[in-house]
Amino acid sequence: MFTNFLVAIVERILNTSLKLDSTLIDKLAPIAHKQLLIEIRDWQQRFLLVFSGQQLHLYSTVENQYDCMISGDIDTLMTLQNPAMLTQLIRQDKLDLQGDLNIAQGFSNAFAAMDVDWPKHFSRYLGDAPAQQLWLSLKSAQQKGQAADEKLATTLSQLCQDELKVTIHPIELEQFKQHTRQLKGSVAQLEQRINRLLQNHSIQ
Amino acid sequence: MNENQQKTTHFGYQTVAETDKASMVADVFHSVAAKYDVMNDLMSFGIHRLWKRQTIASSGVRKGHHVLDLAGGTGDLTAKFSQLVGETGQVVLGDINSSMLKVGREKLHNLGLVGNIDYVQMNAEALPFPDNSFDLITIAFGLRNVTDKDKALRSMYRILKPGGRLLVLEFSKPEHEALSKAYDFYSFNLLPTMGKLVANDSESYKYLAESIRMHPDQDTLKAMMNDAGFEQTTYQNLTGGIVALHRGFKY
Repeated sequence: MFTNFLVAIVERILNTSLKLDSTLIDKLAPIAHKQLLIEIRDWQQRFLLVFSGQQLHLYSTVENQYDCMISGDIDTLMTLQNPAMLTQLIRQDKLDLQGDLNIAQGFSNAFAAMDVDWPKHFSRYLGDAPAQQLWLSLKSAQQKGQAADEKLATTLSQLCQDELKVTIHPIELEQFKQHTRQLKGSVAQLEQRINRLLQNHSIQ
Repeated sequence: MNENQQKTTHFGYQTVAETDKASMVADVFHSVAAKYDVMNDLMSFGIHRLWKRQTIASSGVRKGHHVLDLAGGTGDLTAKFSQLVGETGQVVLGDINSSMLKVGREKLHNLGLVGNIDYVQMNAEALPFPDNSFDLITIAFGLRNVTDKDKALRSMYRILKPGGRLLVLEFSKPEHEALSKAYDFYSFNLLPTMGKLVANDSESYKYLAESIRMHPDQDTLKAMMNDAGFEQTTYQNLTGGIVALHRGFKY
């Protein structure tokens, strides 16, 4: 039941995206009523995704009916954005693809090409000018965030790559020892001199 | 048997004449039709939506299929099936109660779902369709209100196409004793009070609780489906067995 609940939430999010980008319906139209079965092996779950022309339907299912089936571990499925990996994953038996692959590509391409006109949606609640201003601020914040993220990544990678001076160099150690020996010698000389002066003073 | 002696059946915990049950059930649903959806959400805390989702997930429905949503009430399942079967498919929303059908039709029209839905007032015991007409029949929270369940199951089997399936979503017997006791307390104490407050009708919700207890348990219903001719009959308990989804095929 809990899976059903989560799947219902994901379905709602997917359908909200349909409302946000009206071109998505046209992009999904060629694969309308085609059933994409996604099997996540390590979760032991199967999900059926269907676009009915107006809405996306997502169900957790035990059915074995599909037009296209993708089966793999969640980590494997997450790497599918790189098409070059497909053949390698299938050979390693980490991925199983059956049926009409155009259906999986249809869903993937449609969501990858999603272009939401956010200022238009914000303007319903805020008005045109504030919506545009909000959108520009959000974009600017996003760019700043990305720049900060890149800088942090660069700094971290530099820290990881460059040799850190956690101990002193052996030459420095040798110099230090030499200085210490000199100092010891000087202190010994001073001690002798003081002792001699004290002896002279006591004789007098 | 004395010809004058009337056959009896149960209406909740009451024993009534078989001929009277349909009209008594009809009265219950005439009474609750207007507030049916609100009460469903309230009584089940919205979980009835998940039970119905599971029914659709188990339906195997596809574009072009012909679906009968029996006792379809306010059309929750029909709304989804209508989209999934597309313009080449057909969904029949059937209910014995005209008030429920009226509410269902208005709701689906408001959702813009027109074109592939028919609304038919019918009795599940004598379904007005030719043999082998449907790819899928669902009856959600309706079978327990049918007077002669065996007859209804045989009637469903008759109109199902070979390869088609029947899904029965119905209240059933909780799997654990503790859950059963909590459920009894809720059903007989809180439910009628909620019915009184929201729908101003405690009697109908008292009937609901009683009719659930009188309904066959999971294994009995499975056996009844087998007797009616269904094959590969299985059931899945939902929410600890409070509800069970039975599935049977016709080959």
